[in-house]
Amino acid sequence: MAITRRELLTTIGKAGVPAAVAMTVIPQALQAESIPVPSAAVGLLYDASICIGCKACVAACAEANNTPPDTRGDKLHQAPSDLNDVTRNIIKLYKSEDGSAFSYVKRQCMHCLDPACAAGCPFQALYKDPESGIVRWDEEKCIGCRYCTITCPYHIPRFQWQGYNPRVTKCELCHDRLEKGLRPGCTSVCPTGAVIFGPRTVLLSEAKRRINNSPGRYYQSRIYGETDNGGTQSLYLSRVPFEKLGLPELGPESVPARTLRWQRRLYQYFALPAVLYVGLVQVIRKSLKGHEQEAHEREKQTGLRAQL
Amino acid sequence: MSTASLRNAPDDVNADKVRWERAVPVYGFPVVNRFFIVLCGMTLLAFVLTAYRELAGLGPVSGMNDAYGWGIWKTFNVMVLTGLGSGAFAVGIAAWVFRRKRLHALMRMALLTSFLAYACGLLLLGIDAGRPWNFYWIVFPWKWNMHSPLAEVAICMSIYAMIPLALENIPPVLERLWYFDSRLRPGVERVERRLHSFFPWIIAAAYLLPGMHQSSLGALMLLAGERVHPLWQSPWLPLLYLGASTFMSFGCVAGTTMLCCLVWKRAMDMEVLDEAARITAWLIFGWLALRLLDIVFRGALGTAFHADRFAGVFWLEILLTSIGAWLLRRSLQNHETNLMFLGYVLSSVGGMIYRFSPTTLAFRPNPESLYFPTTIEVLVALGFVCMGIAGFLLIVKRFGILPAPLYEWHDMASYFRFRRPYIRWTGYFKHGYYGEDEAEATDSD
Repeated sequence: MAITRRELLTTIGKAGVPAAVAMTVIPQALQAESIPVPSAAVGLLYDASICIGCKACVAACAEANNTPPDTRGDKLHQAPSDLNDVTRNIIKLYKSEDGSAFSYVKRQCMHCLDPACAAGCPFQALYKDPESGIVRWDEEKCIGCRYCTITCPYHIPRFQWQGYNPRVTKCELCHDRLEKGLRPGCTSVCPTGAVIFGPRTVLLSEAKRRINNSPGRYYQSRIYGETDNGGTQSLYLSRVPFEKLGLPELGPESVPARTLRWQRRLYQYFALPAVLYVGLVQVIRKSLKGHEQEAHEREKQTGLRAQL
Repeated sequence: MSTASLRNAPDDVNADKVRWERAVPVYGFPVVNRFFIVLCGMTLLAFVLTAYRELAGLGPVSGMNDAYGWGIWKTFNVMVLTGLGSGAFAVGIAAWVFRRKRLHALMRMALLTSFLAYACGLLLLGIDAGRPWNFYWIVFPWKWNMHSPLAEVAICMSIYAMIPLALENIPPVLERLWYFDSRLRPGVERVERRLHSFFPWIIAAAYLLPGMHQSSLGALMLLAGERVHPLWQSPWLPLLYLGASTFMSFGCVAGTTMLCCLVWKRAMDMEVLDEAARITAWLIFGWLALRLLDIVFRGALGTAFHADRFAGVFWLEILLTSIGAWLLRRSLQNHETNLMFLGYVLSSVGGMIYRFSPTTLAFRPNPESLYFPTTIEVLVALGFVCMGIAGFLLIVKRFGILPAPLYEWHDMASYFRFRRPYIRWTGYFKHGYYGEDEAEATDSD
């Protein structure tokens, strides 16, 4: 009875042999795992340097998605201040402190290759379409936990705060229009071609062509979303630093891969919890025997029914 | 066997050495009193407001917004209070796995407080969810997102509260049935035998599952990345959450027991309380060491000396837990129960602040957004806490939960026999000689 800790350790040690095997297999399996690009990945390329901020895309987005115009600001104009429960797409303006630089930015879902919202979503209500790679929301599965609003590094999904049947609103790249052979709402109206739609590979080469054609025009001469956050399907070009436009520098590793690495490793195949469980059962079985015995002895001493 | 020899009455030679040997219902105090009515009123109010919330949506009733998607219902009632209610896990592991045998005296208190904390937390989790009808996916394991910390929490927590924790709480109920009517005894004993044969599996699950979901509660905020202040955001967040839950719940169980002993005039077993305080103090020291080492090695220590609210919250938490631990150590010298109680309160509050911070106090989604709970939100959160407390007050007065010296059981018997002979429904006293064998009882009379 006195050597409980040693006993616990040896029991877990015995049970730990399969665990050790599992743990050696798992890291290899994880290392092999690289973020796959969906076969028919489509996306948007937004060039902030040619956007004139006309907001035609905002209106077109509302029309395409059949959402009511958000006139909550002045009760007259469709002028939402940010993404919200009826706004999937918005144009914002960045102005530097001294007024030397400014830039519009179009914000909508980035359709990450490894989306944090889907990684956190408990019942896969937010999921990545395996073919097109569009991150979509399934109202049949969403429990309204709002974890996506916390996990998304770009702060895109928005929850509807009013009503008994709230929805999560985010750009779903007009997937129903795509099925009909149409382009997404925002890209169909852009007068300057600041936002264009196409397969991710085509967009990437187009963006690289623009960078090569005018060296020094774009910030760091790079495409935001090529590798950032593990790669996204919405790509950005800009003259001002991406951080100023609300696109944080997240590094080439995706947020879920970086932060949930150990969580995933520990729960892989449920091997470690199972081993721990068996070890615990062994230890507790033994303590229960001792405890029951003591309880019955006390029952004899006191004449009162044993309490376990 | 004579009754006198069993008694360990206060005027005995060993009067100063109280030993908790039996869980005895609180007797002689009515369940319904002014405090209880207030608690029920608060609970009812919370239910009414909940109905309003279900119709109107979350926006009109709460201060939650696009930046702070989670309010106190999740961050306090679930993330903090289930940490406080992990007694069944922390005390249980000490008693059953590490065989600190004297801690078995506290187990029923631990199981009850855990069950109530989890039940109230889970109910509020359902109310907080925007589309709760979709929770039915929980019965299709292939629809779970196995790698989501939130799925882990939601699924593991409900399974834990509904199966292992509920089953662990069955023995006091069976015991009451056993005493209630001698005709029930064969059946009750059969059920007990069946239950005991499964007990190792149940208890082991009751330690594995909370270990998983209490750490996953910490893992929730890992995905939020930079938006959680560097003093809190750490790869060790899951382990730190788990560690905080262990010392907080020790404090909750031992502190509640001490408070109950004070209110209902029960003797305290200093041997058990000292052991719990010693373990709690070491848990806090270990946790603090991990917490500080993590901050130092991540190079985030500098932010603790900025003059902002984050540093303030951080130092408050560190001060409360370390003073609490010091008070607990200090109380061991002369068995000073007031210092010990204060130590439990301070360290638990420190732990609560820690568990509350990453989601709320140290969460900075953007500079312009703020979250402050509305009155309705606070009333609902309080109402569900009140429901737990009311349930606790009802249950400790009807079931053998609170540990007591042996004489308390006999005192209870004579109290009901001579001063309340008309009470039949308390259950323990209908048949037999209050737990002693019926035949022997008639002899000794």
